[in-house]
Amino acid sequence: MIGAHASMSATAVGPHLFWLTSRAAGIAALVLSSVSVSVGLLMGGRILKGRRAELRVAHEALSLATLAALIVHGLTLLGDGFLHPSLGDLAVPFLSGYKTLWTSMGIVAFWALLLLGLSYYARTRIGAQRWRKLHRFAALAWILGIAHSLGEGTDAGQSWFLAMTAIVVVPAIGLLVARRLDAWRSPALGIFQGSRQLAAATRALDPRTVRHSTARSE
Amino acid sequence: MESHDTSARPRASELTPEQRSARALARSRRAAMRRRARRIRRSVAGLTATLFSAAFLTVYVQLASGHDPALSAAAHRRAATATVGAGTASTTSTSGSESAGTSSTPSASESSSESGSSSSESSSGSGSSGESSQSASAVTTSQS
Repeated sequence: MIGAHASMSATAVGPHLFWLTSRAAGIAALVLSSVSVSVGLLMGGRILKGRRAELRVAHEALSLATLAALIVHGLTLLGDGFLHPSLGDLAVPFLSGYKTLWTSMGIVAFWALLLLGLSYYARTRIGAQRWRKLHRFAALAWILGIAHSLGEGTDAGQSWFLAMTAIVVVPAIGLLVARRLDAWRSPALGIFQGSRQLAAATRALDPRTVRHSTARSE
Repeated sequence: MESHDTSARPRASELTPEQRSARALARSRRAAMRRRARRIRRSVAGLTATLFSAAFLTVYVQLASGHDPALSAAAHRRAATATVGAGTASTTSTSGSESAGTSSTPSASESSSESGSSSSESSSGSGSSGESSQSASAVTTSQS
């Protein structure tokens, strides 16, 4: 890719238009998906409890915008003068010869985000509980997407790109870690509370306690 | 189903003033929520367009000013290869003249053919600076 682009003049932007569009769409998708993940994690958290309806609308809109940006990112590559990828190269993992691992990572992330995102509209059929469990994998797809952008992205070495990625990715990762910690702590807390309730019930049923309380009442 | 609906929702005339005001309040709240949702969707669409435009502008300016990471890396590689190629060519010509003066020609002719192939590779832009530098060192060795 680099060689063919380098063979042209650096100032001639026309031949690179598809490449530029694809890069811009990829960057937009990275930011939008990160913000979407953050909003989705905030929905389930306790930070913005009263704003659940607004967060849900924002999360949905951001997810759809991410998918649109990802589609533009992939489809514009079809017109790239150097790479000349087929639709199969862009849609099927491990088919493209160009940086196969990173490209495949991006393709898998796209399909996962598409399926998991659009499954929201079929959640009554899937079942809300099952859908919620499935939806957790969206975070994994997002991480794959970040790996794809850092591993294959043309601008991955640029300081502005790294700063922008850090600004949107670090808060989302923080929220994700907080959510995971919460999820691990909650069952433990449930067991703890359950044991306290059990102890209280045992105490209440203990004949000595009952006798003692009866004697006191008499 | 319809009869059930009518039994669940009494007519407006049958409602007490409190119920009427409660309904109006619910309606206004629903409308406000719908308005908020529309505003959020528009904001997200605007954000998407802005983000895309900003990203496009950034990479465009980078490319137009000759600071594109892919292109500048390739240009550096080409420049390095060209320099090495030029060095190889001059060294080869020197070795050629020397070999003309002396009788030891095979190694010199082999090395010059090697350097020729490496320069043609570098002009194709495959970034074979390593190969060409190897051939350059081979030429120097044969010359010595």
